[in-house]
Amino acid sequence: MSETRTLDEAPTDAPLVSARGEGNNRREEREGDVEDVGLHHIQLIVRPSTASEAWRLRTSDPGATRFLGGGIDVVLYTPETVTTLIDLSRVARVGVSEDRRGLSIGAGTTLSELLEAREAGSWVGGFLADVLRCVASPLQRNVATVGGAAARAHPWSDVILAMLVLDAEVEVYDGVARSVPAAEFYAARAQDVAPLITAVRLPARPASARGAFEKFGRTGFDVGLLNCACVANVVRGLCGGARVAVGGTPGLARRLSDVEGFLEAKRLSRETIAEAAMLAARIVDARDDRRASETYRRTLTGVGIRRCLTQLAGIEGEGAL
Amino acid sequence: MMSLELTINGERRALAAHPGDTLLDVLRREGYVGVKKGCGSGDCGACTVLLNGRAVNACLVLAARAEGASILTIEGLADGDRLHPIQEAFLDEGAVQCGYCTPGMVLSAYDLLSRNATPSEGEIREAISGNLCRCTGYVKQIRAIQTAAERMRSERDE
Repeated sequence: MSETRTLDEAPTDAPLVSARGEGNNRREEREGDVEDVGLHHIQLIVRPSTASEAWRLRTSDPGATRFLGGGIDVVLYTPETVTTLIDLSRVARVGVSEDRRGLSIGAGTTLSELLEAREAGSWVGGFLADVLRCVASPLQRNVATVGGAAARAHPWSDVILAMLVLDAEVEVYDGVARSVPAAEFYAARAQDVAPLITAVRLPARPASARGAFEKFGRTGFDVGLLNCACVANVVRGLCGGARVAVGGTPGLARRLSDVEGFLEAKRLSRETIAEAAMLAARIVDARDDRRASETYRRTLTGVGIRRCLTQLAGIEGEGAL
Repeated sequence: MMSLELTINGERRALAAHPGDTLLDVLRREGYVGVKKGCGSGDCGACTVLLNGRAVNACLVLAARAEGASILTIEGLADGDRLHPIQEAFLDEGAVQCGYCTPGMVLSAYDLLSRNATPSEGEIREAISGNLCRCTGYVKQIRAIQTAAERMRSERDE
């Protein structure tokens, strides 16, 4: 029989997966009209107490194991080859703290907890909170964790888009604990087993830093057809340290460094904004998929970047197309 | 099978569950059929329950992750024969048609009003954005939640 147990209840040299030996006939065993929606192939859930133990378990059988954070993606997307879940509830720190260096967000913090944290609510003029309010629904934000959102790296992820423009650092464990810039972390995602994310750190930004976010979707709840974000320090109308990223292209969000370079030390006039928006539309790595065409995504990119920069510049009456 | 300890509607329960069961599977199997199974993918909100005070899609939470947690289902909201003010308001405002989405909608409203006694219409819309109604639209539900908020404030002030 399979069972859920914690590592401190079981010897660490115990078999990782206990054979169930009964076949997956649970649906036939049940009476009534409701077919279960659970994962019938999961036979064991283990609860390690440390990141190193979690990593050892994950790498001992990569094809048959998955990390379990909030669990939404585990429920929705776990392949049937996976038989063991490594529950990170004892490993993942929950909570948000702020110090001189910036904001540190434990990987086990839910998106709702982050949204409601005082430090995060006002981060970069409320930009982070604006993004989080657009992620799925409260029902899912109450479960989804920051670590899970960062680890799953869905192309349409609003969280990853925000991480990129906020110069986030991802604290990971893959045998050693280290910190990796988000842009680098997502560029190097070809590893067999993605590192365990322990925290996300957002470096402190000048008080003048502001951000803007645009998401295009068929409904407020649906994943976006495209999303984009800009963060910059705008002092006396001049733009500094701009970060511009576009996601759901349909690839994973990426920064547009050419647009960032174009904006550096420029006055955010209507003409500059229009030029930056056109540049973004031209260079974005847009492609067709079932949700939208490449052409439409290029148009959305131009509109979205224009709206974001207009908002940063504080130009009235230009927000809506 | 594994043993799972939950507090459901104030009652401590020790339940048997499979490691891959969702909270929805376990609750319905135990007879809490007010927790509706709709999409099974977190899109409709029919399976909404409160997990440690926060509204969640029970279809997206593995039961094992709820170990030791406190669960509130629609069955636990009324006080005996006395309906909760949110339930009363849904009836009074006609915010029910087929009723399949209603338990989830009511519990999302409960989560909201537990933390925000004076929500704006926008905040109400946001709170129920994960609960789909295919019968009526949302006007009456929003009005019902506004009515419930007023009544709950009045009760507290008395």
